[in-house]
Amino acid sequence: MSRTVEPLINDEYTGGPPTKRVLARLQEKRKEGRKVAGVYCGYAPTELILAMGISPATLCAFSNATIEAAETVLPANLCPLIKSSYGFIITDTCPFYGLSDAVIGETTCDGKKKMFELITDLKPTWIMDLPQVPDQEEAIANWTAMIRKLKGFLENTFGAHATDDGIEESIRDINRRNAMMREIFEFAALEPSVVGWRELYDLTFLAQGSSGKDMEPVLTEALRKLEERRDGGYSYGPAGAPRVMVTGCPVGGDAEKVFAIIEEAGGVIVALDACSGFKPYMTDTAEGTGDPVRALAERYLKIPCSCMTPNARRLTEMTRLIEKMRPDAVIDVVLQACHSFNIESHKVGEHVEKVHGLPFLKIVTDFSLGDVEQIRTRVEALLESC
Amino acid sequence: MRAAGLDIGSRTVKLVVIEEGETVLTRKGLTSHDPLEAARALMEGVNYDTIVATGYGRHLLKGHLDCPVISEIKAFALGAKAIYPTCRVILDIGGQDTKAISLNEAGEMSKFEMNDKCAAGTGRFLEIMAAALGYTLEEFPKAALSAGRFEKINSMCTVFAESEVISLTAKGAARPEVALGIHRAIVSRSTTLLKRIAPSGEVFFAGGVALNGCVETLIAEDLGRPVFVPPDPQMVGALGAALHALKSGGREDATP
Repeated sequence: MSRTVEPLINDEYTGGPPTKRVLARLQEKRKEGRKVAGVYCGYAPTELILAMGISPATLCAFSNATIEAAETVLPANLCPLIKSSYGFIITDTCPFYGLSDAVIGETTCDGKKKMFELITDLKPTWIMDLPQVPDQEEAIANWTAMIRKLKGFLENTFGAHATDDGIEESIRDINRRNAMMREIFEFAALEPSVVGWRELYDLTFLAQGSSGKDMEPVLTEALRKLEERRDGGYSYGPAGAPRVMVTGCPVGGDAEKVFAIIEEAGGVIVALDACSGFKPYMTDTAEGTGDPVRALAERYLKIPCSCMTPNARRLTEMTRLIEKMRPDAVIDVVLQACHSFNIESHKVGEHVEKVHGLPFLKIVTDFSLGDVEQIRTRVEALLESC
Repeated sequence: MRAAGLDIGSRTVKLVVIEEGETVLTRKGLTSHDPLEAARALMEGVNYDTIVATGYGRHLLKGHLDCPVISEIKAFALGAKAIYPTCRVILDIGGQDTKAISLNEAGEMSKFEMNDKCAAGTGRFLEIMAAALGYTLEEFPKAALSAGRFEKINSMCTVFAESEVISLTAKGAARPEVALGIHRAIVSRSTTLLKRIAPSGEVFFAGGVALNGCVETLIAEDLGRPVFVPPDPQMVGALGAALHALKSGGREDATP
């Protein structure tokens, strides 16, 4: 940073892991008498859950510390995110899981699906059957039915209710939140960027289960500070630093090592193209359709996760983001044994190199620190070629 | 100006000094458990005006000598280009990793691929397998080349492959045939990387494993493409670092 500026979120949690801030907010909601539903994935329809007066809580999944315990049951050659999630539960160390009255999962990948089977007897758990060829009419009809079934589960478990008008209102509220988040991302699109990955990540993490109403004061203040940074000639990172877009699997906690290595190698991360980053905020739900649940189904099936096939939307959305953020290089982060992101990486690499003419690097990693120097060599070589 | 390049690899440390376009000094030592001390010993009494470090220990040296660093990939691209200006495909098999690098028409790095994070199919793998069969590193490729047929080694993990070798020898398999199987295993790994980054063209083969004549022969056979091994293949990275030092005069931001 060329000089110190006031953090976008300036509270007692600034500088620490973003989970603590979210936990404090959820504990407050809990005190107000709200129920909490634990979620693992971006396919859980936030609008519906909030409309029913329930707070979604993103469950812990990013620590290397819980993997050893998980491997007493799960195979070692499995995605670290799934192992970590399960390890948190069996060691009872995820405070969000502790706060949750129920858990919502989706049939995204095989590993998660089968892991969920091992935790369903611990808390009321609802698994949504996610269609994986999303552009077919039947897929939208099925996913609409699954969202209605989730509504039934939440009604039965919590005695919670939501009218179509209430869901419609929640859709409008989340659309406003997403629009404000996209305004935030515009400041990373500036050349030079005026915001680093840590602050972007803090905001995307906080906003994930939050309503637009709850996020509005935070985002208004953040946008004001970003305007001040821009108008004051502030720039994040060294002058002329290569701009990096990170795509792929969700990244957080111990996997943040990749972000740290990119910055240490002299890069500035301008786009976080993952469910843990920009993805939840890039698409809006249609308003005023008269069938808000179907509108939600259509919007959620547009999430370009690698569990979908052929997932052409991953590439079209990526093009949109590349054109906006203008990165000098793209890094695809694949978590070990995540077959769908790993295989899809070939298409992503071809797209980045051939369509956009940008250098591309795939990194396969887990949550341990054993490969930091190997990753550093690759990242430095990539940035040298920018 | 005397420009030095230091390549601190996982197994060996290499130093090259160039002056007026000529290599005036090359030195090599084992990295050991104390790479900084190994580098210091190598640099004892060597004079230079500017120095650049590369290899896995590059950042260690940066902290002690305050010298600029470049990645091994860039160093090998620079070194190979200087030795063989028209070559566009580089394979470097070192102690703990394998890199395949393709260069564009201007001789700049355009793409690279590396092996997974473990030492499967690298120099260390060959060392351990040679020891498991009771060969020295000099005898090992010669024995492999003398075999008429080979025993297939299925695992590329150093630990599992060693178990496989032990099982094969326990069954009475001929040592040279197991040796050839090991060489074939490492070669198929490397040619997969090469095919991914460059489907055609002569291969510039560097790194310690390029000293192994059997690997060289099998790569050429497997790819059906010529393979060129420079006279001192372990020095290519250090030479690249020295060339970078010469061009940038020790300034990190200058690119040759």
